[in-house]
Amino acid sequence: MSVLLVHSHFGPTPPAFTSAIAEARVVSVRERQLTAEDFANAQGLITTTHLDQVGFMAHAEAVKTLLDRGGRWFFNGHILRNFVDGLEIYRPLEKPKRPDYALTRLAEHPIFASIEQKSLEENKGVAGFYGRGYNPLPPGGLAVNGIGPERHPIDWEWRCPQGGRIFSHAGNDLGGMGGETGAGKLLTERIIAWCSGEIG
Amino acid sequence: MSILAVHPGAYYHIESFESPRYRNYFDRLVRPEDLSDVQLEDYAVLLIPCRTPADRLEEHKGRLRAYLDHGGTIVATGESESQLFLPGISFTPQPTNFWWWLTPGADLGVRIAAPEHPLFEKLGQRDITWHLHGWFDAPEGAEILAVNGEGKPILYIDAVTTKGRMVITSLDPFFHHGSHFMPATTRFLDGFLPWMRNHLDKEPA
Repeated sequence: MSVLLVHSHFGPTPPAFTSAIAEARVVSVRERQLTAEDFANAQGLITTTHLDQVGFMAHAEAVKTLLDRGGRWFFNGHILRNFVDGLEIYRPLEKPKRPDYALTRLAEHPIFASIEQKSLEENKGVAGFYGRGYNPLPPGGLAVNGIGPERHPIDWEWRCPQGGRIFSHAGNDLGGMGGETGAGKLLTERIIAWCSGEIG
Repeated sequence: MSILAVHPGAYYHIESFESPRYRNYFDRLVRPEDLSDVQLEDYAVLLIPCRTPADRLEEHKGRLRAYLDHGGTIVATGESESQLFLPGISFTPQPTNFWWWLTPGADLGVRIAAPEHPLFEKLGQRDITWHLHGWFDAPEGAEILAVNGEGKPILYIDAVTTKGRMVITSLDPFFHHGSHFMPATTRFLDGFLPWMRNHLDKEPA
């Protein structure tokens, strides 16, 4: 089974997915053309910051079915709709200053193995691209990276009570991070591997 | 009259349209796919926000044109490839420099071109300056409100291409405001949306 990439924006898929799509490890489908069959054929699911969350609610049952059979969902962005029981609405940082963007690794995770979290904190000396808030950690979830002195869970993995797992990254697409360091491509490969159940 | 906003549903659209700060500026939200179910002529203004996927509006191109020819007003903000679904738009994209302000004394070059225009009663130059995605070759007779460093239009009103009115910009305030990113975009909307309500909604094209 492959990983379903929900292609929400207008324009080509991000280049980091090109080889995985060519090898059929990832199937990219425009969001408005999604069918229940696309979910049924997928081991995992990747959604981007541009997800039409209003429209995606129509697929909540298909997502639940995917999770219930042990599938995985990598979510990029701010959760503003209750797709799955247990998820809560995004909370932005209040009037953040530079120290509030500090990133801290809170738990080891195969998606981030050997990648220093600090290396993702700034882009050309500017912090804030990684994220500016957090999707609240569901009960029993694992906080992977924290933001700010209070270490709010900007990245977390949650093993859903009924089965399946969700990884939430509450910022711009994680695969777009890392600037010219190459970390973005590596993160994309690992996100695909995690959604496939090959790691983690 | 009233204001109809296209709601493409991304988190930045939800935050911009549904949160208390601005929600009263939009009398009704409509999904792009539901535009055919709405009598557009009932609304004075149709707003199409930043990063509306163009293919979700291309199928409504004819309806949008008919609305304009009926005297309607369309406001379209940046990064939506609006030239694909609105008439008379010639857009040239440019690479975006997100870091221009790191250079001491740097000037992005954005300028207000019509300081006497009512839009700028509440908006200053710093409120329209964050970064650039491209410029337009505006049609002759269009009212140029703001330009980039080369004097090319980045915000203009076109009341000549159709019987209606189009307010077109390459600025992308809803995306950044809705992402809690870039305070200038929030200041822009703090001035732009009252102008949309007080002028565009109340003064027909």
